[in-house]
Formats: sequence, structure tokens, C-alpha cells
Amino acid sequence: MYEITNCIRRLRFEHGEMTQEELARRTGCTRQTIIALEAGKYTPSLALAFRIARAFDRGVEDVFEFKSDHPQ
Amino acid sequence: MNAEQKRAWLGVGSGVACVVAYLVILPFLGSQVAGAAFAILGLNGFAPLIGRGEKPDERDMSIVRNATLAGAVASYMTFILGCMGTWFIVFAWHREPQVSVHSLPMITFWAVLVVYLVRSAVILVLYNRHVEADNV
Repeated sequence: MYEITNCIRRLRFEHGEMTQEELARRTGCTRQTIIALEAGKYTPSLALAFRIARAFDRGVEDVFEFKSDHPQ
Repeated sequence: MNAEQKRAWLGVGSGVACVVAYLVILPFLGSQVAGAAFAILGLNGFAPLIGRGEKPDERDMSIVRNATLAGAVASYMTFILGCMGTWFIVFAWHREPQVSVHSLPMITFWAVLVVYLVRSAVILVLYNRHVEADNV
């Protein structure tokens, strides 16, 4: 089992209180998907994860955290 | 609510209306006339007109893909079980040598109904559940 968490909500506020609509526009997805991401209801594709990270000028691992039961 | 959810509600609504109409007509006019109730499913032809300007993103497409797969599997099972059930009732139970010409269209109608109902229901459920992108 694994879990992918994110800190999109915090990063949005750190970037001038960027709206969900604005982030959705920048990353090419819908606001509903941003809401689902922040609520932990959606695990994005690698491409979307990169787009979101770039929207915040961060690396993917600064935005998303991968937690797994398997030993590294 | 996005376009996919609106289309899914149309699918659920038309599916339920179809079943209700079929069950209301059945006792009075028989199964062959009641089969006309399946025409209600034709309302789903208007589904593409809902939210024409909206572009689905990867989450929408993932949800729709999973729901379509679930609908197809359920429909296939309905069709196979319908055929086996018909064979069992007609040949094995009543020992009759032939099947009514209405049997296959009715099984097909039910299979189509199941596609719309299951696909639409799964879409509505998945929009409220955790979903993973297809290429996580």
C-alpha cells in the first residue's frame, strides 16, 4: 500500500493566495480536480504532478510526498 | 457539478424512468408492448449537448474510462446471463423446442439499460471517491 499526500493548499497561499481556478488554469486541469487533489481524493498523473510543481517553482517532491509500506 | 456528472444524472434518470415505465406497462399490456419503455433510453442521445464547451481533464477521463469499463462488464454479464436464463427457462424447464423471437431484443434492451445505469452510477460514485490517474 502507498499514499501520496501533497501540500498544494499551503503552497497556493504562499504564492499570493493563488486561487484554485488560477492553479487549474496554469496546470491545464479543472478546478474540481484541484479541489480533489487538496482533499486527497485524487492521485495525479506524473505529468500533472510536474505541471503543479512548476506552477509553484518547486520540485515534485516539494509538493508531493510518497509514503509506502514497502521498504526502500 | 461538471458536464460528466450532468450526463451521468441523465443516464441514471432515463434508466430509472425506463425501468419504472416498463414495470407500469408490463401487467396491463405484456412484456412485448412494455419493451417500448426502452425508447426512453433514447434521451441519452442528448447527452453530448450537455456542457459542450467544457473540456474534460485527466481525472474526468480516468473516471469515465473506469465507469465505461464497469458498464461494459455489467452489460456483458447481463447479456450472457439473459441468454443462459432464456435457454434454461425455455429448453430445460418448459421443454419447448423454440424461443420467442422477442427474447433476443429484450435481452439486448436490458443489456443496454445496464450499460447506462451502471456507467452513470459509477461516474457519480467515483466523483466522490478517491481516484488515481491511469498512469500514476
